[in-house]
Amino acid sequence: MTSVYLDYQSSKPVDPQVVQAMEPYFQKIYGNPSSLHSIGDKATDALEQSRSSIADFIQAEPDEIIFASGATEANNLALIGYAERNKSKGKHIIISEIEHISIHNTAKFLMKSGFSVSKVPVNHYGQVSVHKVNERITDDTILISIGYANNEVGTIQPIEEIGRLCRDKEIAFHTDAVAAEGLLPLNVQNDSIDLMSVSSNDIYGPKGLGILYKRKGIKISPQIIGGGQENGLRSGTEDLASIAGMARAAKIVMEERENEVKRLQSYRDQLIKEVLEKIPRSYLNGHPEKRLPNNAHFRFDGIEGESLLLSLNDKGIAVSTGSACSSKTLEPSHTLISMGLLHEEAHGSLELTVGRFTKQSDIDALIKALPEVVERLRKLSPLY
Amino acid sequence: MKSTSYSDKVLDHFRNPRNVGDLKGKDIAKGSVGNPVCGDLMEFSLKVKDNRIQDIKFKTFGCGSAVATASMITELAKGKTLDEALKITRKDVADELDGLPPVKMHCSNLAADALRDAINNYKEKQKTKDEPEKSSTKPHSEHITGEKEFSGKGVYHAVKDPSSLKDQRVLIQDRGKKSIQMAETIAEHSPRVVLVTKEKSQKVKKTIQTELRKSGVKILFESELKEISGLNSVEKVKIHDLDEDNIYELFVDAVVLI
Repeated sequence: MTSVYLDYQSSKPVDPQVVQAMEPYFQKIYGNPSSLHSIGDKATDALEQSRSSIADFIQAEPDEIIFASGATEANNLALIGYAERNKSKGKHIIISEIEHISIHNTAKFLMKSGFSVSKVPVNHYGQVSVHKVNERITDDTILISIGYANNEVGTIQPIEEIGRLCRDKEIAFHTDAVAAEGLLPLNVQNDSIDLMSVSSNDIYGPKGLGILYKRKGIKISPQIIGGGQENGLRSGTEDLASIAGMARAAKIVMEERENEVKRLQSYRDQLIKEVLEKIPRSYLNGHPEKRLPNNAHFRFDGIEGESLLLSLNDKGIAVSTGSACSSKTLEPSHTLISMGLLHEEAHGSLELTVGRFTKQSDIDALIKALPEVVERLRKLSPLY
Repeated sequence: MKSTSYSDKVLDHFRNPRNVGDLKGKDIAKGSVGNPVCGDLMEFSLKVKDNRIQDIKFKTFGCGSAVATASMITELAKGKTLDEALKITRKDVADELDGLPPVKMHCSNLAADALRDAINNYKEKQKTKDEPEKSSTKPHSEHITGEKEFSGKGVYHAVKDPSSLKDQRVLIQDRGKKSIQMAETIAEHSPRVVLVTKEKSQKVKKTIQTELRKSGVKILFESELKEISGLNSVEKVKIHDLDEDNIYELFVDAVVLI
C-alpha cells in the first residue's frame, strides 16, 4: 500500500531508459570481453564505450575506472588495497567520524592488521574541518578518506580544500562520493581526488555495480584475485549488462542534472520550511545551506524514530530514521551522535530524501500526514 | 527478522494503544524503566484498591514494540491482585502479542519490569508513608580526567564573553545556581548547551526545568562528567549515566566548569 517514497538515499528505482540500455546484453551481446573472437570483440567494444562514458561523468580518463560490485567493494579496494600496497611509506590512515559504515568497518579491519586510524570529529552541522584533518596528519599518514557528502544528514564536505591539503602533504586522498553523485558535479581533477567510490544505483543504474576511480600513478593491491580483468586490480568477468546500464545512467545525469537539481531543491526547501513551521519543537539536522539538494533531515522532541517510521508507513509513506530501534545493531546513528546530539534526539530523527520520480503530490502527502503522526506519538510520550 | 516485521497484534496495539496516560492523586503509585539514552522509556501509574489493580495507565518513548508491550501489559494487569501482576513475565507479554522480533526481545520488552517497579513502589509507599525522603546531594569534588590538560583549550572556569562560544557545542556541569544561569546565558549564543546534573529529574524544580528548556538548554539528569578528551582542544567528553550505570561519549567543543 506504500505509494509515497521519500527514501531515495536507501535505494533508487532503475530508470526505464537504463533498463532499455541493458536489455541487449543479456542475449544479443553476450560475449566475454576477454574472448578473442568477434563475439567477444563486440563485448569489449561495449565495455570500453561504457567505461569512457562513466569516466566523462567524473572528468577522469577511461583507464582510471575500475568496475566493482558496488561502492562497498570500491571502498574496501580503496582503503585495504591502498594500505596494503603502500604500507612501506607509513601505516596511518585518517577518516572522519561520520563516514559510511563500510568505511568505518574497513578501517576497523585495517586496525586489526596493524594500521592506526584517526577519526576527525565534525561540528554540529556534520561538517569536517580541514584544520582538524591537518592536526591529525603525521609523518606516518598515507591515506585520508572523507566522504564527499554525508549520506544521512546530507552535509557537503569541503572536498576541494581537503584534496589540496592531501596534495600538499603528498598523502593519497579517497572520497566516497555515493551520497553526492548525480546531485553535485563530480570532478576528480578540480578536487585533487586520487581514489573515489561511485555506485551505479545511486544514479538510477542497476544495483550490484560500482566503480573505483584510481588516478594514474596511484598503486593499489587487488582484493579479488582471478583472471586479471580491470588491469589485474579486480578479477571476474565483467557484468556487461549492468555496466552498460550504469553508462546510460551517467549520461542521463550529465544531460539532466542541472534542471533536475533545481526541481529537487524546491521540494527539499518546501519540506524543510513547512515541517519546521507546522510542527512545534522540530529541528533541522545538518547544514542549512551546504546540504545535498535532495535531503531534509529532522528531529522532533519526545518521539522515537521507529514509531514515526511505522506510523508513516501505515499512511503509505516510506521514510528513514537514524533511530537505534530500526537498526540491526540497536545503536543510534553514529553520524547524529558525532554531531553532538543526545541519544534521545538521535532516536527521534526522520530522514526524507527525494529523487527523480518524486512528485509534488508526494511532498504534499508527507506534509499533511506528519503533523498528525507526531502529535499522536507525543501524546504517548513521557518525554513531551 | 526485520525490526518492522511485527505481528498483527503488535501493530494493533501500536496503532491503538490501550490505557494511555497517567493517573494522578495521592494513592497512585508510579514505576518507570529504561532511559531515553538507550531509546526506550516506559512509565506506568497504578491505582490500587483492596490489593487489586483497579486502574493502570502508561506512557512510552520508544519503538513499535515498546508501545505495544506497554499497552498489552496494562490489559493483562488490570483487575489482577498485586501478587498476580508481579508474576507477569516478559515472555507472557511477548506471547500475548504473538511474539516479538528476536532483536526486540530484550531492549523493548521492558513492560514487565516497569510494572514490577510500579508495584514495588506502591508497596514501599505503604510501608514508609511517614519517613521523610532522604537527600542524596553530594559536594562536587570528584576528579574529571582531562580538566587540567584542556584548561584554556576548551575547558573554561570562567566565561567573560559568552558570545565567544558562538557556534560551539557547550557542556556545563551543574554546580548550583550560577552554573544554571550561565547555561541560559550561553544558550543565547550557542547552538547547543547541555547541562549535566547528578540530580534526578523529580528533584529539580519544574520552573527551573521549564526556564532551561525555553532557552534551549538540554539537561542530562542523573549524569556525571567523567572525562574530557580531544587532540589539541576539547572534542568530546565521557558521561556516566548514574541511573543505568553506563558510560557514553558526547561530542562537544567546550566544557564550562564554574
